[in-house]
Amino acid sequence: MSMFSNNPALRWLMHNPIWGFVLLIFVFFSLSADHFFDARNLQNIVVQTSTIGLIALGMTLVMINGNIDLSVGATLALAAAFAVDVQSWAAFATWGNWQILPAVCLALLAGIAMGAINGFIVWKTGVDAFIVTLGAMLGIRGLVFVYTGEQSFYAANFAYSDFSMMSLGPFPVLAVIFVLAVIAVHWLLSRTVHGRNTYAVGGNREAAVNAGIRVGPHMMINFMLIGFLAALSGVLLSTQMGAATPNLGRDYELWVITAVVLGGTKLTGGKGDIIGTLGGVLAIGILRNGMNLMQVPAFYVYVILGSILIAVLFLDKRFNRTQNGGLRL
Amino acid sequence: MTKTMKFLLASCGTVALASAGSAETVRIGITQNNVGIDSYQTTYEQAFIAAADANPNVEVIVLDAGGDVARQISQMQDLIQQQVDAIIIWPTDGQALVPAVRNAFNAGIPVVVTNSNIAEAGMDFIAAFSGPNNIQQGIYSAEMMCDALGGEGQIVQITGMPGYTTAIERQQGFDERLAELCPGVTQLDIQPGDWNRERAQRTMETFLTRFDQIDGVYSGDDNMGVGALNAAIDAGRAEGMVFIGATNFAVGYDAMARGEYWGSVYQSPVDDAEAALQTALDVLAGEDVPKLNYFDTPKITQDNMDEFDRPVF
Amino acid sequence: MLIARLKAGGPTLAKQGILVAFILFMIVFSFMSDRFMTTGNVMSVFRQATIVGVMALGVTIVVIGGNLDLSVGSMLSFATVLVVDLHDKIGPELAVPVMVLATLCLGAVNGFLIGILRLNSLIVTLGMLSVIQGLVLIYSGGQNVDIANQSETWFRVFGRGAVMGIATPIILFVGLALFFHILMTTTAFGRRVHAVGGNPVASVFSGIPRSRIVFLTYLISALCVAVAAMILGSRVMGSQNNVGQGYELQVLAAVILGGTSLLGGSGSILRTVLGVLMLAFIQNGLILMGQPYYTQWLVTWAVIIIAVWLDVAAKRGRLLSPIA
Repeated sequence: MSMFSNNPALRWLMHNPIWGFVLLIFVFFSLSADHFFDARNLQNIVVQTSTIGLIALGMTLVMINGNIDLSVGATLALAAAFAVDVQSWAAFATWGNWQILPAVCLALLAGIAMGAINGFIVWKTGVDAFIVTLGAMLGIRGLVFVYTGEQSFYAANFAYSDFSMMSLGPFPVLAVIFVLAVIAVHWLLSRTVHGRNTYAVGGNREAAVNAGIRVGPHMMINFMLIGFLAALSGVLLSTQMGAATPNLGRDYELWVITAVVLGGTKLTGGKGDIIGTLGGVLAIGILRNGMNLMQVPAFYVYVILGSILIAVLFLDKRFNRTQNGGLRL
Repeated sequence: MTKTMKFLLASCGTVALASAGSAETVRIGITQNNVGIDSYQTTYEQAFIAAADANPNVEVIVLDAGGDVARQISQMQDLIQQQVDAIIIWPTDGQALVPAVRNAFNAGIPVVVTNSNIAEAGMDFIAAFSGPNNIQQGIYSAEMMCDALGGEGQIVQITGMPGYTTAIERQQGFDERLAELCPGVTQLDIQPGDWNRERAQRTMETFLTRFDQIDGVYSGDDNMGVGALNAAIDAGRAEGMVFIGATNFAVGYDAMARGEYWGSVYQSPVDDAEAALQTALDVLAGEDVPKLNYFDTPKITQDNMDEFDRPVF
Repeated sequence: MLIARLKAGGPTLAKQGILVAFILFMIVFSFMSDRFMTTGNVMSVFRQATIVGVMALGVTIVVIGGNLDLSVGSMLSFATVLVVDLHDKIGPELAVPVMVLATLCLGAVNGFLIGILRLNSLIVTLGMLSVIQGLVLIYSGGQNVDIANQSETWFRVFGRGAVMGIATPIILFVGLALFFHILMTTTAFGRRVHAVGGNPVASVFSGIPRSRIVFLTYLISALCVAVAAMILGSRVMGSQNNVGQGYELQVLAAVILGGTSLLGGSGSILRTVLGVLMLAFIQNGLILMGQPYYTQWLVTWAVIIIAVWLDVAAKRGRLLSPIA
C-alpha cells in the first residue's frame, strides 16, 4: 500500500480510476483489434467522442451544481436543424460560404436560449432540474418536429460538410475544437470564481448563499453553458452529416450522464472534474470503436456497455469507501 | 452466440483459403440501420451472413447503427479506416449519410446502398443502389386501396417512425398516388404507429372513437396493420373495413388467409440481402452495374397469396 | 394569488393541485371534442393507460424509497417477449409463472446492486436498461414473437377480457392500485419505505432494515412490470424486442406528475394514478382534436412543469422559489 501512495502516478490513478480503465481497454484493443492502434483510428476516436464529449463538459458543470439536464439530446437536434436550414434562407443567398456564419450563430443562440429557459424555470419555480429537463426533453423535441416538419434538412453547400474533413496539421479540426473546449471548461472550473462557486453551490447550498453567491443566476449560467455546448455538438455533428435529422441525439442524455458519472462526478453535486469526465467519454468512445473493429455483435454490445457501467460504479465505490451511501438522487 | 461462432468459423475458412492462394478474398463491410427493431432487419442480417458464408471468397464485417445517424457515420469511418474493399450501407437517414458516403468514395471504396436509398445529392458517390422502392410500395398500396374501395370512401393512415426515410417515402408514394388515382377517397387523418403494433393499436382505437365511418386503413407495414385490425375487431367494426399494409409480415399473411386483411406488398429480406451482396460483388468484379437495382416487390392480396411463401418474419 | 387562494381553501385543496388540474383538463377537452367524454372513449383511454399505469405503481414505491428505476422499459420488453414466446412452447399455464419469476430475478439484481451494495440507482438502472435490452435481443435472436392461436388461448383474458363489461386490464390496474395504496398507507412496510426514502441515515438508527426495504421495492417494481407484460402480451398477442422502449420516461413522467418527490420519502399511489390518467387523456384528447403527435410533446412539457410547480409552490406556501 505504501508503494502505491509513494508513486505519484499511481496515486493519481487511484483518484481517477476511470483513467486506469481507459489505459486498460486501450492496451487491450491495441493488442487484439487489427486496425485499432493506428493514427487514423485514434483521430477517429477523438472525433467520434467529441459529440458526446462536448455535452459531457457542460453536464459536468450542471451536475457539480447538483442539477442534471435531460434535454441535451433534443437541444442538439434543434441546433443542428437551425445550422443547416438557416444557410438556405433567401436573406443569405448572396453571402456565398459566409451564409454558414449566421446559421451557426443562430444555432448556438438557440442552444443558449434552451438552456436559459431550463435554468430560469429551475431558478424561479424551484422544481427539481430532473423534472424540468425531463419535460423539456419532450418539449424541445416537439419544437424540432414543428420546425422541421418531420423532414431532414440538408446543406446544399458542400463547403459545410467539407469543414468536418479539414485538418490543422495532423489533427482533424473537429478534434481540435473538442480539445480546446476541454481546456476552456477545465480552466473555467478549476481556475475561476465561477468554477469555485460551482462546487460551492453543489456542495453546500446554504453556505454558498451565506457566502453571497447568487445561486439562481449562477445555475442559470451553467444551464446556458450546457445549452451552448449541446448546440455546438449539434452543429459539429451536422457538419459531419451535411444534414440535420429530427431524431438526432435521441438517448444521448443517457450516454452523457453515463460518461460523466464514470468520470467520478457525483449526482449529489459538489464533486467532480473535467479530467475525470474526459476519461469517461474516452472510455465509452474507445469501447464502441474497439467493439466495432472486433465486430462484437450488436446485441452483445448492449450487455457489455451496461455491465461495464455497473462494474465501474462498483469499483469506484470500493476505491472511495469514504463516500457515504449515495443512494439518493 | 451461434452467429459469432459461425462467423468466426467462416472468417477462419476464408483466411485459410486466402492463404492457400486458391482464391482472392474480398472484404466487405456492412452497416445496417437498426437490427432487432423488427424481424425484417434481423432476417436480413441473418440472410446476409448466410449468403456471405456460402461464398468462400467473401469476408464480411457486420455492423449495426442502432438507428443512430452519428453512430452510423462513426461506423463508416471505422470501415474506411479498415480499408475494406467495399461498403454496403443501409442508411438510417438518406440525407445525413451523404458526406460519409462521399468520404468513402474519396477513399476509393465503392459504396452500395441497400434497402432505402440515399438522397439525390449522394447519387454521384455511390456505386449502386440495391433494394425495394419504398415510394413504389406506397404507390402499390394506394392502388390496392383504390381497388378495394371501388374509388369511394374514407380512410386513415398509420405511418412508421416519424422522421425516418422509409416511413416518409411509403407515406409519400401512397399520398401522391391516391390523390391522383382516387380523388373519391379521402384521408381522414395520418398519425404515427412507430413500427410498433401496440402503438398502432392505440392509434387505431382513437381513430375509431373519432370517426364513425372508416372504410380503409393503410399502414406502413403489416405489423402495425395487424395492430389496427385488432383494434377494429375489439370494437366490433372490422367487418367490411379494408386493411392494407406496405410490407407483408407473417402476421399479415395469416390475417389475409383468415380473410381479415386485404393486401400488402411482398418484400423478402432474403432477396434484399442477397441482392445487396451480389451487387457489391458485381461492382468489385468490375461489371457494369446499373445505378438503381430495384428488386421486385409485388402486390400480395387474398386472391394471389398462394403464389407466395409465408414470410419468415 | 392563486397560491394564496389555494391556501385559504385549506391544505387539502392545496395538496390536490393535480386533481384540480386533471378536472380542468377534462372539462377543456370535453368542450373541444364531443367524442371525448363518451363512455366508450373514456374506457378505451383507461384501458390504454393500464400498461404505463401498472408500471408506474411500482416505480412510485421505488421513488418513495428514495431511488429511481429506469430499467422498467427494457424489463417490459424482456417480460413481454418471454411470455409470448413461451406461450406457444410450454403453454400459458407455465409461461406466465416462468415469466414472472424471470422478471423478479431482474428486479432482484437491481435490488441487490442498489439495496445491498448501495450503488447509485440512476446509474445502475441505466446500465440495466442497456443490459436487459441486449438480453432480449440475444434471447429472441432479434425476431418478433407471436402467439399462433389467438382466439382460443385463455391468455387473452389479461389484455382483451372483460368482467361485467369492465375490461380486465382496468380491473387489474385498479385492484393493484388499491392494494399498493393500502400497503403504503396502513402497513409497517409502507411506513418503513417512507422512512428510508425520507431520511436514510435516521432510518437505520431507528432499526429499519434499509437494505431489505430497498431490495423489496425493486421486487415490487419488477412484479408490476410482469403484470404490465401480461396485459401487453395478451393485448397484442405478439411482441417486438423494443416494445417497452421509452416506457421508462412515460412512467417517470406520470409518477412526477402525481407529485411524488424524486428526493424520496413522500408520494402517493392514488395521485400517481391521476398522473397516469392525465397523460393518457392529454394524448387522446389532442388526437381527437386532430392535432399532430408532436403537439402532445409540447403540451406535456408545459403540463409537467406547471403541475409540479403548483405542487411544490403549495407545499412551500409561495409561488416563486426562495433561491436567490
